[in-house]
This record gives sequence, structure tokens and C-alpha cells, in this order.
Amino acid sequence: MSYLHLKVPPTRDIRLRPCNAYGGNLENLVCGQKEGCLSNNGRTFAQTTGCQLTLAMGMAASIPNTVVIYHGPVGCGAGSLGLAGQSKMSQQARGNDDAVGRVWMSTNLSEVDIVSGGEKKLEAAILEAERRFRPHAIFIGNTCVPAIIGDDIDNVATRLQDRVNARIIPLHCEGFKTRFVATAYDIVYHGILRYLLGNQHDRKPIIEDEAAQIAYELRRKKTVNLLNVGSMGYVDEVELVRLLNAIGLEANVYPCFTSPEKFVKVKDAALSISICATHDDYFVEHLKEHYGVPYVLNTIPIGTDNVRLWLLDVADFFGIREEALKVIAAEEAELNKALEPLRKSFVGKTAFVSTGEIRAGAQACMLENDLGIKVVGIRAHHYDEFGEIVFENFKDRDDVTINVAANQPFEQVNLLRRLKPDLYLGHGNSNVWAAKQGVPVLPIYGPNNSYLGYKGIFEVASRLERILSNPRWYNTLGETTQLPYKESWYEQDPYLYIRQTTEAA
Amino acid sequence: MSTATDRPPFIEKPRFSCPLGGAMATVGALPKAVAVLHASQGCGGNSNGAIMQAAGHLGSGYCGGASIPASGIGEQQIVFGGAARLEEQLESTLEVIDAELLVVITGCTAEIIGDDIEAVVRSYRAAAADGRPPLVHASAAGFKGNSYFGYDSVLQALFRDYVVPTKEKKKGKINIWGVTPALDVFWEGNLIELRRVLEGIGLTVNTFFTKQDTLADLRGAGDAELNIVVSPVNGVAAAEVFKEVHGVDHFITDLPIGAKATASFLREVAKRLDLDNDEVEAFLVAEKDAYYHFFNRISDSYADLDFQRYLVIVADTTYAVSLASFATHELGWLPKLVAVTDPTDLEERAAVVERFTGGLADPKETVVFEADTSQISTRLFERWPKPDGSKYYQPFSPAFVIGSRLDREFAESIGAGHLSVTYPISNRCVLNRGYAGYRGALHLVEDVISALVVNR
Ligand code: SF4
Repeated sequence: MSYLHLKVPPTRDIRLRPCNAYGGNLENLVCGQKEGCLSNNGRTFAQTTGCQLTLAMGMAASIPNTVVIYHGPVGCGAGSLGLAGQSKMSQQARGNDDAVGRVWMSTNLSEVDIVSGGEKKLEAAILEAERRFRPHAIFIGNTCVPAIIGDDIDNVATRLQDRVNARIIPLHCEGFKTRFVATAYDIVYHGILRYLLGNQHDRKPIIEDEAAQIAYELRRKKTVNLLNVGSMGYVDEVELVRLLNAIGLEANVYPCFTSPEKFVKVKDAALSISICATHDDYFVEHLKEHYGVPYVLNTIPIGTDNVRLWLLDVADFFGIREEALKVIAAEEAELNKALEPLRKSFVGKTAFVSTGEIRAGAQACMLENDLGIKVVGIRAHHYDEFGEIVFENFKDRDDVTINVAANQPFEQVNLLRRLKPDLYLGHGNSNVWAAKQGVPVLPIYGPNNSYLGYKGIFEVASRLERILSNPRWYNTLGETTQLPYKESWYEQDPYLYIRQTTEAA
Repeated sequence: MSTATDRPPFIEKPRFSCPLGGAMATVGALPKAVAVLHASQGCGGNSNGAIMQAAGHLGSGYCGGASIPASGIGEQQIVFGGAARLEEQLESTLEVIDAELLVVITGCTAEIIGDDIEAVVRSYRAAAADGRPPLVHASAAGFKGNSYFGYDSVLQALFRDYVVPTKEKKKGKINIWGVTPALDVFWEGNLIELRRVLEGIGLTVNTFFTKQDTLADLRGAGDAELNIVVSPVNGVAAAEVFKEVHGVDHFITDLPIGAKATASFLREVAKRLDLDNDEVEAFLVAEKDAYYHFFNRISDSYADLDFQRYLVIVADTTYAVSLASFATHELGWLPKLVAVTDPTDLEERAAVVERFTGGLADPKETVVFEADTSQISTRLFERWPKPDGSKYYQPFSPAFVIGSRLDREFAESIGAGHLSVTYPISNRCVLNRGYAGYRGALHLVEDVISALVVNR
């Protein structure tokens, strides 16, 4: 699969044909996905969700020394207003003392621009971004409006590239183009591959030193890319790097929180390690094809089963399975001891999990197998071919409800009213709707908390124990808040509004 | 440079979202009203960040956040039109959601493809016999303006199609507009206090967006004697529509903050409505007394620690005018730069500067129109000498910045204290706090002085 010759990579809708509207059991989901008959499902009642622009630009903005320009009306990108300090904290956590908060601009397209085009404004914004901030890269995010009126952002980028030092990276991330927000990852990686890697030349040593060259080659053979698109907090990075170090590997983290000029090394690595296929499949495949860097991307290291799978995948590539098994045995023994006192507070408890497909499957598995919490339902934002491995644990389990939806709290409230879980682990924007039903919530990811590796298991367990030990805030919220749904809705089939489109388009 | 041109070609970190975001916030603040977005799938989610976390962590409320019904315009609708999808969404919304008022909010894509929304609304209303909630349509395409425009757009739709026209007017009944939910992060607290003081001079007051208000009050707002708009910008166009449709006049003024501003605000209102002078004055005396009883508690520390500050204000027009006057007249501070952050047409700027007369020693010198966060510092040092290394250089100190969260780094860079008062505010949590009137001003004093003593 190489799409790098294209200005715009294909959307997930076309490339992977995932599904984002489904309710029922796992078997039908896996089957339907394989046959491609679920990808056109929609909803006749729907609630607002995110778009690929927001995700793409969030990812781009987390790369230090960049400016992101929203080319569109002033509201696209307004979500950044709530995150003004966020990327600064994330960069500071990684030792970047000069970190500034997110720097973004909007070309503020007006009614006049709808008629006459907005390219002039974009030009002005790029030049001023360069003058004011001297960034390494300027990401342009194309939004719905200029895409419809036909602005050519690639042309603007090419035209101006000679006049600015920053690498200009056009991203075609118009919200209306895809139903799958995850397309955003492909868009940003596409930009990085095409404009950052494609243009960086390997630094040739000035003086050829054979000994140094050999040393470098040896090192290179043990150096891996660890991919973080922003969902991994610094503590998680540290934990995964610790595990990779433990089996003798060196890791560099890309692309988020790493300054663009360091990207060149991504091509030199011995292996790319993904923690989530939803994030990285596009990138690792292209890295392999164009630069010969192989990859692993089967699972996310959440819960002992998946940490083991993840680490062994890596170890097998380097032929060091035995070393890895020793590390795993020692880590698991230590962890088990630490978990033991916590486990008693989970006896008889049930949980509902809702987030991106890979994380959802792995987290659910962790709850059951590591903590003994029974999972009663799993929601995934979407489902595609990469889900099968992480959902393996729930095969033939009729006692676990599977729902595929991006947010859509109306389906969730209906499900939760029936399932009455003791705990909810979910994604931002969905959590509150469980909380309003009185269900205690653990946010399923966050930049300041640990979720991955062995430390992540312990940390999640201890946070769950803490939350269960005093759920009163949630209980009170449930008693004092009114949800906007009609009582009759809770008696309906939760999937009533899923429109099945059978023909495989 | 952005100051020299009429409409800057771009805005750095715009301090507002688009009309859609403003409209969502406005509908969300009305009791049991529900927005139905006819826009691309991400517009609502993206705007939610702006009207929730960036608005002092305002919650999703009744049917906000991820619960807002939305048609989710995609490629198919762009090509074939989206009216049918909107109709479908409205019908299913009726089945699932318990709403007493529905507001269709149209975004960029819907308005560019030119869906005939009025036809959808007409056919919805034609079926109204079965007890459906009323439906209005607010146009809120992103390219039409900013979030404040969205507030106006919702109000205009309500005034035309929801508020019941009546010839009879009730003496002493007034409506308050101009306080924008979420975009004024202290909106509900401000409205509560405005109602309190106006009731204090004997009026019947409708504020529409507080817990105490009902949709019935909104529906019946047409019999008011006067509309009071406490902003020279927001709600003004809507008040014009109100006048045209319901024959109610309006009074445009500034948001009063502090004893002095609130007293003159109430006196003006009293004059417009011909109220009993003695009753009004009696209320003002009692309020002033209570106000300074608390206000003067800062006196010992103010006098011992020299709490006077040079001040930079970074705010939208509404807050800029009121904060400048409060700082000058109540705190006795020295505003040296007032950066007005909302886009203002060149022709309107003189009038905006004019509003600062009385509130600032030298409005022409002090007020700038600057939306770009990174340029505030440039504007300041156009007015105050830059450090030149000389022994007797007079620094811009002691200084304070009243602005938004975005201005904290600037404040730090000049060694000034900082308080987020204007939008966006992601670094504070705001519940019923307001800064308007007497009680609000006391909160403002508490918060500003607390920022000065935070390290003691
Ligand atoms: S207009 Fe399009 S790009 Fe902009 S926020 Fe809405 S869906 Fe996203």
C-alpha cells in the first residue's frame, strides 16, 4: 500500500471499511466486518461527535516548535480554547523547559471569502506564522468550507515553501469527508511522511570514521521507534521504554512531543512498535515500504495478557524471546503481589468499557483477567479488521454486550440502565453520561495518568479501588440530575436507530 | 499589521468560536430547550470544547455536550442535499428526546449547500397538531461572524417565531439581554445580580437564562415595557428585531460593575421608566452601604502593601469598557493598555473608543483593537518605554493583567499578576459567580486581591 504519491490519502471509509454503528454480539460483528456488510451502517437518530480535523490538528499541535493554521471559518479549531495550557504541560513533562502552549491561527473565512476564495488569507497567515514564531513546521488544516469552495492549499504550500524556513505541511482533514475520525491519524502521518521524511536527507558524517560507523550500526540494530499519537501520557512512555530497555532495546518516541528536526532518525530504526493499530497502521506500513523499517502492531500493552503479547512480538523480531520471558515472569510475579490486596475490593463487581476499539478490547480483558471484575458491555468507537486480536477474550461470550458507536450517549444510557454496571471506564465526552446515571467513572486515558505496561495495570487497579471506596459524588449526581431522554426511550431496543444498509457498497 | 487593516486576514488563537458555538451555548442555557444541529458531524463536538472547558468548565447541562442531536452532514448530503436527513433527525429527536423547545442550528456546510430549512420548518409546524414542541431555526454558519453572532441569531429566531406578539405592555416589566451564556463565563451570576438590583428598584425582570426563568417567561416577553441590553455589541441586533416585531423599545448600556457604575445604571433605567425617585434612591443608599461595608475590608492590606497597580485589560468590548471603569473608579488602578479583542469594523472603532470616556484617563491612547495574543506585549511597549538598561528606567511595575487564560503567559513575561475574567477561561471553575452589580464587584475584588496575596 503506498499512497504517498497522493495529495490526499484515502479515508478509512474506503481503505479499511470499518463500522461505527452496530449493536449485538461479537460474532456477528466480526463476521459482518469481514464480509464488509457493516461499513455502511448509519443512524437515523444521531448525536454530535468529533471530526477528523480536531483530532488531526490536536496531534499536529502536540509536536513542539510547530504552528497549526486552521484554514476555515473561525469556529473550526475553537475546541483548542479549552486546551490552551495542555500541550505546554505535556512538553514540559518531557523536559522541554522552553515549551510554549499550543500555537494556532485561524484564517477566519468570511462570507466574502466563500465567493472569492481564501487562499490569500492562508498565504498571509503562513508568512506571519513564520515571522512571529519561527517554527520548524507549519501544519495547515483544511476544513469543510475551503474544500467545498475549492481552495488549493497544496498549491499555496508549494508556492510559499521557498519563502519560509518552516516546513509547510498541508493536511486535508475536512470533517465531512469521513465518518471515521481515525482517518485523522493517516492524514497527519501522510503529511509527516510526504513533507518531513520525504525531504530530510540523511546526515552524512563529515569525516568518515569506521569505528564510529560500526558502533552506530550496532546501536541502530537495537534502536526502535515507539509510536505515540498523543494518547500516551509521559508516564506511559517511560514505562514502555523501561520494558524495552529491559530486553536490551533503545527506544525513540514519535511523532508527538518530538521536535520535527529529530524525525529523520525514524528511518534508521530497526523496528517500529505501535501500541495501537487504529493509530499507526498507515504509518508503519509506509515506513516499511519506503524505508524498509519493519513493524509490530498487533496489540496495545494494557493488562498482563496484552503486555505479554506486545513484548513477545517485539522480542521475537529480535530473536530474544527467552530474555523477554524472563522479564515477563519477574514483572508478573512482582505485579501480582502488589495487586493482591486490591483485588478484594473488586469481588463481584461489574464494569462497562467504552473507547477506541483496540483500547476497549484490551482494557476489558485486563479488568477480567487481572482484576476479576466482570465486564458486562464494551463499546468501541469503530470496529475494523484490527479488532479481532484484542477482542479474542470475548469470543463466544453471550453475556457481554457489544456496541459500536462514536459517543452517541443515547445508546449508552439505554444500555447502562439495563446492565447497571458498578463501574464505567470510558473516553472523554462519554464519561459524564454514565456519571449522570450514578455510575462511578474512571477516564480510560489521560495525559497525566498511567495505563500501559505493568505499572499501568497497578495504577488502574489502585485508582479503581479508590473510586469504589467512595462513589458518593457519582451517586448524588445520579439522584440530582435529569437526563434529556424520554422515559419511553429506555424501553426501546437500544439499537433501534441503527440503519442497516445491507448492500456492500 | 492586523491593527491597521479592517478585517485581519487571520486571527491568532481567536477568543471566540463561530456562530454555531454561540448558538449552542445560548440554546443550552434555556430551560429544557434542545438544539438540533444541521452541520457537519464534528462541528458540535469541536464547539463543545469551546463552550464547556473554555467557559469556566461549564457542564453539558440538560442536553449539551455529546448529547446534542445532529444531522451530521457528510459527502452524500453535500452532493445530494441534506434537507431529508434533517427531517429524519427531527422526527427521531421527537421520539427520543424530551424537549420543550427545539432550535435547528445550521452550520457552514448546510448553508453553503443551500438546504431549504424554511421548508423543513414549515412542514414540521404543519404537523404540530400532535403536541410537538415548538421549533425555530437559527442561522449560524461559521463564515457569518463569531460566537456572539450566534447568540444574536438564536434570539432573533426566538423573537420572530416564539415570543407571542401582544399589543398590551405591562408597566414596570423589563427584559434583559446582552449577557451571553458561556461566552461571558460569569453569565448566570451576572444575570442573577442584575435581576436582583432591578427588582430592588421595583421592576419585574425577565432574565431568561437563569435557573429561575422559564420558557413561559420567554414566550410572554412581548408585553415588556423595555428591553435593556447590557452590552454595546451583543443582543443589539436582536433588540432591533424585538422592536420591529413586538414594538418594545430598548436601552443599550454597559454591563455595570461596582457601586458607582451600578448606581448610575439604575438611575438611568429609573429615568427611562419614570420610576419613583425616592424609592430608587433609598435602595441605592442601602446597597452602597452594604457594598462598602465589605469592600473596605481590604483597606488595611491595601494601605500597608500598596495594592495599586498598573493594569492591562484584554477583553471583548463589553467587558473591556466595564472593567476599565471599575479598575479606575473602584480599585483606583491605572489601566495603561486596553486591548479590545472582538473584531470591530473600522467605522465602528471610534464609537467603541468613545464608550471608554470617563472610564479611562485617555481612551484614544489606551485602547487598541488587537485580537492576537502574541501581539499584546508589542502593543504595551508601544505605549510604555522598553527597558533600556539605564539606571533610572521606570519599569511597568507593579502591574496586573485582567484578561483571559490566554493572557497568562504574557502576564508572567512582564512579571504581572493575572486573573482570568474574560473568555476563554479554562483555568478556573465558575458556578454561580458573577462580576456584575454590587455583589459581583465584591467577588471581583476578592479574586483580584486574592491573586495578589496568593503566595503569602
Ligand atoms: S466545519 Fe467541518 S472541519 Fe470545521 S469543525 Fe465542522 S466538521 Fe470540523
